[in-house]
Amino acid sequence: MFEATLSDRQGRLDRLQIAAVVGLMLLSVAFVYSATMADDIARELAWYHQTWVRQVVWFALGTAAVVGVCLVEYHTLARWAFVAYWLTILGLVAVLIPGIGTTRGWGAMRWIDLGPLGQFQPSEFAKLGVILALAHFLSRPVDELRFPANFWKGIGLILLPFVLIMKEPDLGSAIVLLPTGLVMMFVAGTPRRYLLRLVGGVGILGALFLVDVLFAPPGWWQIKLEDYQRHRLMTYFGRDFTPPNATPEQRRRARELEDAKSYQIRQALISVGSGGFWGKGWRQGTQNSLGFLPRGAAHNDFIFSVIAEEKGFVGSVTVLTLYAVVLFTGLRIAGQARDRLGKLLAVGVVTLLFSHVFINIGMNIRLMPVTGVPLPLLSYGGSSVLGSLIAMGMLQNVYIYRKGY
Amino acid sequence: MLVYDQLRKNDPQLRLLALIVLLAFGVLLVGVWWVQIVSARHYQASLETQSFRSVRLPALRGKILDRQGRVLAENRPNCSIGLYLEDLRPAFDAAGGAEVRRVRAERARLLAAREAAVGRKLTKTERRPYTLSLGERTMLRTNAFYAVASNIVAQIGAGLQQPMMLDPDSFHRHYRITRFLPFPVATNLSVAQIARFEEQLHGILGADLEVQSTRIYPQGVTASHVIGYVRRDNDSTEGEQAFFSYRLPDYRGVVGIEGHFDEQLRGLAGGKSVLVNNLGYRQSETVWATPEAGRNVVLTLDLDIQRAAERALRDRQGPHVRGAVVVLDVHRGDILALVSAPAPDPNYVISGFPPEEFARWQDERLGMQRNRATQEIYQPGSIFKPLVGLAVLEAGLNPLESFLVEPDPQNPTRGAIFVGPQKFRDTVSPGKYDFRRAIAKSSNSYFITNGLRFGVANIVELAKQLHLGERYGLPTMQESAGIFPSLRRVSANWRSGDTANLCIGQGEMAVTPLQMAVMTAAFANGGKVLLPRLVQRIEAYDPTSLSPTQVFPAGQVRNHIGVNPRHLDTLRDAMLADTEDPEGTAYAAFRDFRPRSGQAAPMRVCGKTGTAQKKDLNGRLQDYITWFASFAPYEEPRYAVVVMVESGSSGGGACAPVARDIYASIQKLEAAAERAVVQNP
Repeated sequence: MFEATLSDRQGRLDRLQIAAVVGLMLLSVAFVYSATMADDIARELAWYHQTWVRQVVWFALGTAAVVGVCLVEYHTLARWAFVAYWLTILGLVAVLIPGIGTTRGWGAMRWIDLGPLGQFQPSEFAKLGVILALAHFLSRPVDELRFPANFWKGIGLILLPFVLIMKEPDLGSAIVLLPTGLVMMFVAGTPRRYLLRLVGGVGILGALFLVDVLFAPPGWWQIKLEDYQRHRLMTYFGRDFTPPNATPEQRRRARELEDAKSYQIRQALISVGSGGFWGKGWRQGTQNSLGFLPRGAAHNDFIFSVIAEEKGFVGSVTVLTLYAVVLFTGLRIAGQARDRLGKLLAVGVVTLLFSHVFINIGMNIRLMPVTGVPLPLLSYGGSSVLGSLIAMGMLQNVYIYRKGY
Repeated sequence: MLVYDQLRKNDPQLRLLALIVLLAFGVLLVGVWWVQIVSARHYQASLETQSFRSVRLPALRGKILDRQGRVLAENRPNCSIGLYLEDLRPAFDAAGGAEVRRVRAERARLLAAREAAVGRKLTKTERRPYTLSLGERTMLRTNAFYAVASNIVAQIGAGLQQPMMLDPDSFHRHYRITRFLPFPVATNLSVAQIARFEEQLHGILGADLEVQSTRIYPQGVTASHVIGYVRRDNDSTEGEQAFFSYRLPDYRGVVGIEGHFDEQLRGLAGGKSVLVNNLGYRQSETVWATPEAGRNVVLTLDLDIQRAAERALRDRQGPHVRGAVVVLDVHRGDILALVSAPAPDPNYVISGFPPEEFARWQDERLGMQRNRATQEIYQPGSIFKPLVGLAVLEAGLNPLESFLVEPDPQNPTRGAIFVGPQKFRDTVSPGKYDFRRAIAKSSNSYFITNGLRFGVANIVELAKQLHLGERYGLPTMQESAGIFPSLRRVSANWRSGDTANLCIGQGEMAVTPLQMAVMTAAFANGGKVLLPRLVQRIEAYDPTSLSPTQVFPAGQVRNHIGVNPRHLDTLRDAMLADTEDPEGTAYAAFRDFRPRSGQAAPMRVCGKTGTAQKKDLNGRLQDYITWFASFAPYEEPRYAVVVMVESGSSGGGACAPVARDIYASIQKLEAAAERAVVQNP
């Protein structure tokens, strides 16, 4: 059996995709190194405490996970889909319990402290759980998807983790679930009228939400949002923070606040823009080394800025190309999948990755508001790396078992 | 192809998905292109604005030297201790963090106590006073920074054995605005303090020595009018980058040599850019233009003669004298001394005036800021008579011809002359006068009569050749042209009374002492009208430099008065009689300036005294301006000395003794120089 598949023209693995993934991982190690080694304190740490070494370790663990995922056929995996789903839901609930969840000094409870093993971010795995569960659920015969009950069940599968992640709060991670779920339902063959109604409804709600956040005069009923979320949205849409009848003093303070709030995105833009065509060279970027790019975020959410500053337009296009390769090979895998389950899994992974890439890079060039979404495989972070690599493993799995031996 | 294949799949859902992904990547690509290619320059500019600070580095100012290379103006290194805030940053952060934690814990305790007191959890609004606002946090942190810096300053103070305080306001201001520069803790360190710092405090956290330069004038008031002064001015000059985030202290010449040659003295300022991090601390710095030191200006002044002239004026006329002295080399035109009293100490302009000095500096009547030798104009009085005499000799007067001075009807012991209805008093006694006696005793009647007899045009023409009423273009920004009537002016609407006034150096004319020195030098050197020279050359600051030296040639003859040498001899004899003939007006002053046994013979001096009445607009007498114009030695004239004293008793009484002292000093200096040559041939 082995000999037969190995001699197959297309091979057992999608080599092109693997090459792109390896390329992204190499870039990641190089630029996590560049982003963190600018800091004197970081430079003096022992080698095994260095961020880039940790990233390498995560990549190694992730690769092991990929191999593990590929060993088990995806149908077998799908049988455990709901177990995985509820386990991740359990994680999402646990993270909200003070004492188990930790904020790591930030504003949101997104992490579970595992002591010496570091922290882990259940939302990264919840994304995979949703894909697995939804693919399993939607892979039933198309006729059954016509029942409204099944439609609502599908929606429920998405909304439960969505609400829990929003609660942390982690707007970015929650939001990527929506397109992922929606696209999977669409590809699965859910009747178009349901989806149109859903998209329309969500669109109207979203618009109302934005109008309320941005334009509601004080005293009106306003949606409860964290201040920083409101400010991020206002910054993105270029809204003044001041009420219309503010005193000059209030206006001045509001302007300062606005400056402070738009600081990150402004610095990210300066990094990207000042890179120019060729960039300043690896480890030559000043935005990061001088601390204008926030130290805590440069190597994860703003890694694209670091690459764009140091490698310029050439670097940005390289990154975009690598992602395009990963996504289009993913779509090809979806097309070649043996059955609907495989196709849905592939589509889910592709959409999830795509949402991350678009939101994150869009944020770095001010196409999207600032939301804490990592760039898969490039950003530093164990949970994100493991989650992304497991997702890649699922794609390869669908590819390997496409022929139904 | 991979992408193309996905777009023409026969699975409509996947086709749509591929299309969306492709479009989205297109959007990202356009976005990245817009930011990195189209707007790259804009963002590069923003990057520079936020991460670079430019600092102007002034160049070392050129020196001003006398003709023998002695220093009149130079720079003194001014050592100060600067605190480098970026080195203190870890200490700042530690102290600031500790302070914030302390206050936060205290608030938490208070909150707990309050909650225990009311027996319930406080609501969010009730809890507000117990939380630290951003403003409070900032304040706590900056105060902690101040405490850290203040501690170090106290340590430095202890090390220097000089109690020192850190002013909170200036520290906070510096921290807010110029964090990237060292904060000056102590300035103007003495040598002992520098030694103590190096010995005990070297390597103390964040502190280091900084050197800037201060302009100093080691000679104080000596020649201060010629040197001029500078004021603090950090502005960019023409041809230099105009924008700097910060400028180190620099000077700008205002007047005098400092003012006129400011461009050469100033050199070329440089600049450095300081790379700062997001908190505004210095990260590194690059000097992109090293400052180029200014050039030295070497004057023609001789510091010894200058000092001698100042001393003579002060010794003879007291410390409050208002007057001027010019010593000129009659062949080369070099100004050897240019004194204007009272003179300010230019060091005060930089360091600040003591109160009474400031009052003197501002006093209009003292006129301390005006250079009396070149800028103030006066009527010359009788020292103008040699010119009138020369003009009438040229016109045909026989110097031996006898002239009778008529007695004044009101005061028969003195002479007088009537020109029309106007009476001109004569200070000389009535009697017979020839040219020699008329110069030596300074008879008004003699020169008025002869001036009228041969016509005013002769006098005006000779004065024109001597360039009276014109500037020399002295490089001090302190020069007046003086007043002298033109030929046109005297040809119409000009009365004999006006000519009579002109003949005795009064009326419609005014001169500077320097103009009188140039005139006197022309009589001494055979008729050459020299362009007085104040600056010999401008040379590179560093003597080993190869940059060319700009030389101003000596002995520039502007004009030749073209008179008969015999007439000049006649004039010189007559002027010698002024100091040597017992009847001469300056005889008393030079009585002891005679050859004596056992001593070198003093120079024989030719002179002419003068006293001009200074009248206000209504013709009332305000003051007397007394003069002595002279040259020596009689046989081979080398020096011309002109002394002017305001409110003096008389030319012979006030000014001639000053000139006498100056000649005595010059002779001593010449003898010393000769001895030096003999000893070190």
